[in-house]
Amino acid sequence: MKALVPVKRVIDYNVKARVKADGSGVDLANIKMSMNPFDEIAVEEAIRLKEAGKIEEIVAVSIGVKQAQETLRTALAMGADRAILIVAADDVHQDLEPLAVAKLLKAVVDSEAPDIVIAGKQAIDNDMNATGQMLAALLGWPQATYASELLVEDGSATVTREVDGGLQTISVQLPAIVTVDLRLNEPRYASLPNIMKAKKKPLEEKTAADFGVDISPRLEIVTTTEPPTRSAGVRVGSVNDLVEKLKNEAGVV
Amino acid sequence: MSLNAATPEFVRTLTNQIGEGVISPPTPAYLEEPRHRYTGIGGCLARPRNTGEVAAIVRLCNDNKVGIVPYGGGTGLVSGQIMEHGPAPVILSLERMDAIRDVDAADNILIAEAGAILANIQLAAADANRLFPLSLASEGSCRIGGNLSTNAGGVNVLRYGNARDLCLGVEAVLPDGSILSGLERLRKNNTGYDLRHLLIGAEGTLGIITAAALKLSPRPVEVETAFATVPNPQAALDLLNHLRDDLGDLISAFELIDLNGILFMEETGVDHTYPLAEKSKWQVLVECGGGVDARLKARLEHALHAAAERELILDAVIAQSEGQRKSLWQIREHIPIGNRKIGSVVSHDISVPVSRVPAFIEAARPLIEAIDPDLRINSFGHLGDGNLHYNIFPPMGRNRGDYDNAAKEVKKTIHDLVAQFGGSFSAEHGVGRAKVGDLQTYGDPTKLAAMRAIKAALDPNGIMNPGAVV
Repeated sequence: MKALVPVKRVIDYNVKARVKADGSGVDLANIKMSMNPFDEIAVEEAIRLKEAGKIEEIVAVSIGVKQAQETLRTALAMGADRAILIVAADDVHQDLEPLAVAKLLKAVVDSEAPDIVIAGKQAIDNDMNATGQMLAALLGWPQATYASELLVEDGSATVTREVDGGLQTISVQLPAIVTVDLRLNEPRYASLPNIMKAKKKPLEEKTAADFGVDISPRLEIVTTTEPPTRSAGVRVGSVNDLVEKLKNEAGVV
Repeated sequence: MSLNAATPEFVRTLTNQIGEGVISPPTPAYLEEPRHRYTGIGGCLARPRNTGEVAAIVRLCNDNKVGIVPYGGGTGLVSGQIMEHGPAPVILSLERMDAIRDVDAADNILIAEAGAILANIQLAAADANRLFPLSLASEGSCRIGGNLSTNAGGVNVLRYGNARDLCLGVEAVLPDGSILSGLERLRKNNTGYDLRHLLIGAEGTLGIITAAALKLSPRPVEVETAFATVPNPQAALDLLNHLRDDLGDLISAFELIDLNGILFMEETGVDHTYPLAEKSKWQVLVECGGGVDARLKARLEHALHAAAERELILDAVIAQSEGQRKSLWQIREHIPIGNRKIGSVVSHDISVPVSRVPAFIEAARPLIEAIDPDLRINSFGHLGDGNLHYNIFPPMGRNRGDYDNAAKEVKKTIHDLVAQFGGSFSAEHGVGRAKVGDLQTYGDPTKLAAMRAIKAALDPNGIMNPGAVV
């Protein structure tokens, strides 16, 4: 069995995002970029499936700027076997829309014929939460989203999903798309020997044009704004003061 | 020369003259310290809002020969902020003077009041795309006035120096209540005795720092962090030199971690994630930072790989995200929490010449074993600065109280050995009240005489932090 794991290079989730002065987006110049944390969980899950003997090969794929090869090297250092980079942007500020990404991934799936695609449920930069679902639709494959547990056996995947009311367990026939949630696993560190080995693993570079996919944007970003700053708190002298303020100032009780 | 207590009558006078809301009874928080070893006394707590109020309080105390204990974040470990005996002093907390008066990216200077919390200064510098490199475990609660008064060290001394190296000028209130306006923004200023350097590291015995001009550095665009297991301390030191040969002074931190520190965290349930499959007796945490296009990651990978081939490291991980980087630092930063939960028999904050650290560790162990073979040693710290926190703990299931008799002997043994190695019995924590005896024993007599002369000249009544340092 073969697993395909898409990984995205995004602003590191521990870095404070700053909006560009013209409001056109988040300023990414000289900002720490890392693998989307949900994709890291997807890579880890694929490696665990390989270690358990469920799959034989893990192919990591990234779509975006050329620097995304660093993200792929991280996936290879964690334990992916080979990588495919589709260069589809030349500016880090150019974010591909989920439909374009899904179409490119479909083309990769068509040529690689994986048995399972394990992806992050969403990228933390644009929070679209759409690529996995769109890919499933384009391929006509079953989809299991928000996985917090994944069991692969006898041509099917049993997936526990985190839903509002609790946990839901579903079974999907392979090939299928699984998108993973935060609590599925804790990703491993890349060890030095594996980082060095990863430098020699194959990383194939392609362009969006190689697949004949139209990646032009369908959406227009009107404006980007910072979240409102939190106003300073006040100290209250007593419980009575607190209740008084909650009633008359905040109007919440 | 004897001091008077801050009696209720004096406190009333102080309250009348300084005004409402500044003087209050000291709450227990101001009379305790992180390790709960010392309990302080105080006639009142003064929380002035500006330099003028500090000066007025000091003047009144000086006129009435009442002692003052300056108080920052209260995180000191040598009882510099806790006075246990003597006439009850005024505890003067700088907590309300926490403004950052200015951040100047062009001059690379930040002006902070003494009560500013270190982490807030770091954030203010980062907002201006600059780095204030002073960084230590208590940075979320310690205050810059205390950092300067104790000449604090921390994890970035290797590259950026300690608090003294990061300060260009101070504003301070001297023991007679006069105000020293020395917030110079100058990198060069050779105009007589540099009183800034007298007040830094004086631990509040020569005056109260009320504000400081701090030196900022370019903010590293790329920061890479690795955690490696090493065969022994000598290999760790060789690794540091190997990495510095390659990366020069881009290496900002190099921390040695003793297996016992990790086992203590496991034993006491302190949150941490060990990143490697196999633990070693010794591990190191390395961090480097550089500008745009420094290609630091690839360089660090290659340098570590070459070190592995020289058998200087057993295994290593390199953080792939800020989250992983924080998690690696958490191991180092949570070691003191585990230590505190176990409770040390005795702790030492020592330094020796960097090259002699491995020999020191080698020589100290059998001496401790000879005193009691059951004692556990956790020696960790800033290897790149030759600074070890050489701490001794009771065996599992025993209490430090059972080893009160051994504690004195252990301390003397270690401090004697440090002296033999040409080292210091207080590398970065200061003298406070806890190490006054050590300074008498190990200090150079001429230096001690000069210190006493300076103290007598600036503080003839001896009101400033009585009983500390000299």
